[in-house]
Amino acid sequence: MQYKLTTCLLITLFSAATAFSQTISVEGEVIHPLKLSAADIGKMPKKEITAADRDGKPHRYSGVPVTAILQQAGVTLGAQLKGENMSKYLLVKSGDGYEVLFSLAELDSAFTDRVIILADQVDGQPLPDGKGPFRIIVPGEKKPARWIWEVTTMAVRFAKD
Amino acid sequence: MKKRGWMILLGLMALTFVSGRIPFTGKPYPLKYPASFGNRINIPPGNPLTKEGVYLGRRLFYEKMLSANNKISCGTCHMQRLAFTDGKAFSTGIGGVPTDRNAMSLANLLWVKNFFWDGRASSLEQQALTPLTAPHEMGQLPAISAGKLRRSKLYPGLFRAAFGTNTISGEEIVKALAQFERTLISAGSPYDRYLDGQYQPDSAALRGMQLFMTAPTPERKVRGANCGHCHGGPKLYIELFHNNGLDSIPRDAGREKQTGIAADKGRFRVPTLRNIALTAPYMHDGRFGTLEDVLDHYSDHIRNSPSLSPVLRNNSNEAGGVSLRLSKQEQKDIIAFLQLLTDSSFITNPAFSNPFN
Repeated sequence: MQYKLTTCLLITLFSAATAFSQTISVEGEVIHPLKLSAADIGKMPKKEITAADRDGKPHRYSGVPVTAILQQAGVTLGAQLKGENMSKYLLVKSGDGYEVLFSLAELDSAFTDRVIILADQVDGQPLPDGKGPFRIIVPGEKKPARWIWEVTTMAVRFAKD
Repeated sequence: MKKRGWMILLGLMALTFVSGRIPFTGKPYPLKYPASFGNRINIPPGNPLTKEGVYLGRRLFYEKMLSANNKISCGTCHMQRLAFTDGKAFSTGIGGVPTDRNAMSLANLLWVKNFFWDGRASSLEQQALTPLTAPHEMGQLPAISAGKLRRSKLYPGLFRAAFGTNTISGEEIVKALAQFERTLISAGSPYDRYLDGQYQPDSAALRGMQLFMTAPTPERKVRGANCGHCHGGPKLYIELFHNNGLDSIPRDAGREKQTGIAADKGRFRVPTLRNIALTAPYMHDGRFGTLEDVLDHYSDHIRNSPSLSPVLRNNSNEAGGVSLRLSKQEQKDIIAFLQLLTDSSFITNPAFSNPFN
């Protein structure tokens, strides 16, 4: 029992340490570059969605809409998402080096009802080791390949051709 | 309007003439690689590839004067016949003291963004400085190397041809080395020919390829090894840093040493599997002598830890298994596929060979 308690405590300490030692950098074509801590993200409006992971089973994911973070950074969304801004994209990077891309239009509520979130909880629990503290959840996609875990950077760029 | 254009042009020509600084350009080095490799290549704007620069880089790669005892070159630990590895778990440089990590294969570096097992160098130019100067590798400051090369008969002319300079500096040494390394393109293995529709693998290799590319799903009775999740695509790697379950408490903390982030503990580069049959021993510490040992690890010995790659969790052919649980035959089939990744044209290409031989 004592062993179990100690393990629980250690796990909690470890998760807390990872959660607080990592920040998410929001950079690129933004008015206000941000370094968001878990506490900063905790203060933002929550959104819960249900979606199936690779295991095929539906899970409840809780987090903040990606657009809420982009709006805080002053990214051209909503009325400003037109003209040359239509060739902007969001590149999300993981601590393991993985990168995935979204066009701004596929995130923006002026274009789509689908809400993509930056989740910090699954089924009421913090995300498991290796997938947290933050993971992008994209509802309605057949493959979860853009559900990038351990998010460290969100970079908005212009596609240059 | 036209007249004004001419005036500007004449003015510019006059300025160039007066300052005497005509920008130096060598002959561009044409890079050839399959379209399927993609064009996300990394060449710094200040170091375009030229034929002269690449040739100089090749000589410097095999030049023992770049070491403190004049006995070690880059090519000592990166031997072409072993796909630019040395067959050892750890290499020994000038002092006979072993290195901390296994010498990496040099192939298709043109696409790599972060170098070394832990990704700590962001260019080949920056990377080269470590083995050149590390006390137990080549152990010599670039400025001292530059001095030795200046006193040689051959090198002043080669540097002039490559960079248009009459002086030799450490910066130009690493630039030339990086240019040569960017030309080390491997795209001629049987697997490349298979992708091109020009090669028919035997049945064992085909079974191995199927396992390599498939994620195991025991609930649907789909068997697989899921290697391609990280080692996939025509280049046979994705630039990722993962903890592949070698140890619960790693002796070498890997990327965590650079970042200080607990999630990076025991994380190392996902290396390319190109020429993998030639580059034993395996892993960052060369702990596995054979491909059989490597397959045995992924099949039965994944060690759990908080930073274990999520890709290797719940990745088993048995429901609830912690390792892949492949049969001996499946492991043999995967190794038969891995043999197809050996590019004999790469390891015999005279353009990459030691010019001093």
